[in-house]
Amino acid sequence: MVKIKNLEASIEDKKILKGIDLDINPGEVHVIMGRNGSGKSTLANVIAGNEAYELDNGSIFMNDEDITEMSIENRALNGIFLCFQYPVAIPGVSMAYFLRAALNAHLNHQGKEEIDALEFLKNSKQILGELGLDDSFLKRSINDGFSGGEKKKSEILQLLSINPKLAVLDETDSGLDVDALRTVAKGVNKFRNNNNAVLIITHYQRLLDYIKPDIVHLMIDGKIVKTGDMSLVEKVEKDGYSWLEE
Amino acid sequence: MVIPGLKSNMINNFKKDCLKRFTSNGFPTRKEENWKFTSSRNLAKFENHVEEIPSIEHLNIDDNTLLFINGILDQGSLNNFKFNDKLNISDLDEITDNSILEFSDNFNEDSIFNLGISDFKKGFYFKFDEKLIIEKPIKIINYYKADQNFSRITSFNIFHVQSGSEISFEENDIYEGMSSFNLKLNKFIIDDNSVLKFGKFNQGVDQNHQLSYNYFTMKKDAILKIDGLNKQSIFNKEFIEVDLNDSGSDVNISILNLGKNNDHLDNNILINHNAESCTSFQHVRNILDNESSAVFNGKVIVLEGAQKTDSNQSNKNLLLSDTSNAYSNPQLEIYADDVSCGHGSTTGALNEDSVFYLRARGIKKTDAIKILIKAFAKEVVDEFSLSSIQDISEIALDSWINEQH
Repeated sequence: MVKIKNLEASIEDKKILKGIDLDINPGEVHVIMGRNGSGKSTLANVIAGNEAYELDNGSIFMNDEDITEMSIENRALNGIFLCFQYPVAIPGVSMAYFLRAALNAHLNHQGKEEIDALEFLKNSKQILGELGLDDSFLKRSINDGFSGGEKKKSEILQLLSINPKLAVLDETDSGLDVDALRTVAKGVNKFRNNNNAVLIITHYQRLLDYIKPDIVHLMIDGKIVKTGDMSLVEKVEKDGYSWLEE
Repeated sequence: MVIPGLKSNMINNFKKDCLKRFTSNGFPTRKEENWKFTSSRNLAKFENHVEEIPSIEHLNIDDNTLLFINGILDQGSLNNFKFNDKLNISDLDEITDNSILEFSDNFNEDSIFNLGISDFKKGFYFKFDEKLIIEKPIKIINYYKADQNFSRITSFNIFHVQSGSEISFEENDIYEGMSSFNLKLNKFIIDDNSVLKFGKFNQGVDQNHQLSYNYFTMKKDAILKIDGLNKQSIFNKEFIEVDLNDSGSDVNISILNLGKNNDHLDNNILINHNAESCTSFQHVRNILDNESSAVFNGKVIVLEGAQKTDSNQSNKNLLLSDTSNAYSNPQLEIYADDVSCGHGSTTGALNEDSVFYLRARGIKKTDAIKILIKAFAKEVVDEFSLSSIQDISEIALDSWINEQH
């Protein structure tokens, strides 16, 4: 589904990604772990097309289509969804307006009719209920005045509404209490199926207690240095990352 | 209806004093605080006076409208005005109570205010009945049509909302004809326990200059709400001064300015807390594109006895181009010790992270930018007290955004 080849990227002339290769197939959950500053979030942003980063080398393919030069919105319309580590607050734009605009952009792209207001509300309320959020959430401005947990639940609400092909979770588990963590994990597990994939970027094992990954990658200094199964997570929890540098 | 009365010398004396002050001081220079970022140089070129009375047949004037043609009340619209039995209208020539003509020191010292008083031809004192509740806003249409270029059109009127009343005005200026400098002076007297809502939608035309002085004097437990949207004007400067003279009064001012090309939009707001337990709130937002500029001079003065004052002023500027400019000068002068006063000002471009966030959900870049501009504007438009001004502002805002992006 997603093939990343020799990806190199920098920001303000500082090289962050130094040759990333990654193959993600439908139905898989991948995890990337690494220390702060290893380039995990940069990778998530570069996959989503954030123009703040300079792509120096490499390519990204989505279902055999080269999306390396594709705009942010076209990547999203082609199935890439970034769950933001720090979702921005946008006062003055309601969640309902935003979510419906995003959904309709996807439906237009797929050549389908836009969603009518009643159907949109029905679908959204069902997801809100599953995330333990009140219906009034839709009336609030995007992430404005949201608690840390609400921000992350808002990302999951968007994920479940848009239903992309690849969900990239950029430290979605950070700053969450255990109840919120469970709710977020429940949402991600609901999203998972054999036709989509999930890439989780995290520091901690605790999210992985609820979302079982298929493949684990360890990242150091802009490179994936080790790939394996869940046992890698346990080793990192026990020994940290320094053994990888020996 | 206008009741003819005896002529008094009061207004003539006022005019003479003002002319003397203007002659002595001339047009203001940039050394003056309120004119630091706005040049009055061009205003001096507008010396001609309108001679002909323009036709108004093409205007749609209903029985809820007071029409002012080149600054002077149109008798026809007054005769047709459905509330004309609920107010007394006197010619300012006949004013015998000097307090009605009193203005703040700030206005009296302003050179162009003096020019305006000395220059206006005919003005009226509108005194609405006590305990008068008019739910639908009264439309005030100022129709300007100069028959020669560089005309100066001056108006001066006084509106008095008596105690226990609630009245709304929705002001709209229409410009036709040759280039003009429209100098508008208004005084609003708001008595005890009354409400005045004053909404203004101002869309200029390229060659016109608009300068207005609005002075509001408020008594006990009075409420004043001012909504304004200004767009498309190479010179639009507005002075608003509010005197909160007795306890329990509340003023809310919310203004949105949309600037493009060489537009220049300037708001000067002074709120004088002269009594205790009053509240005031100013919120001015400017969205500026191309080479446009905006000025915010906002000041709150809390006098020594004005304890329990609650005041806030906010100015936010969104710059959509590298060549647009916003000058922001929020000021507080507090002489009382038991008050809550805040002020803040921000100026910046669209947040790139917000654009990225929306685009990352599949929303096109141009649409993302439009959504963010509208959101910035909506925060002040949503505060407008008059739904009619809110509605027309939303339409104007949408078309302005679509024209620009």
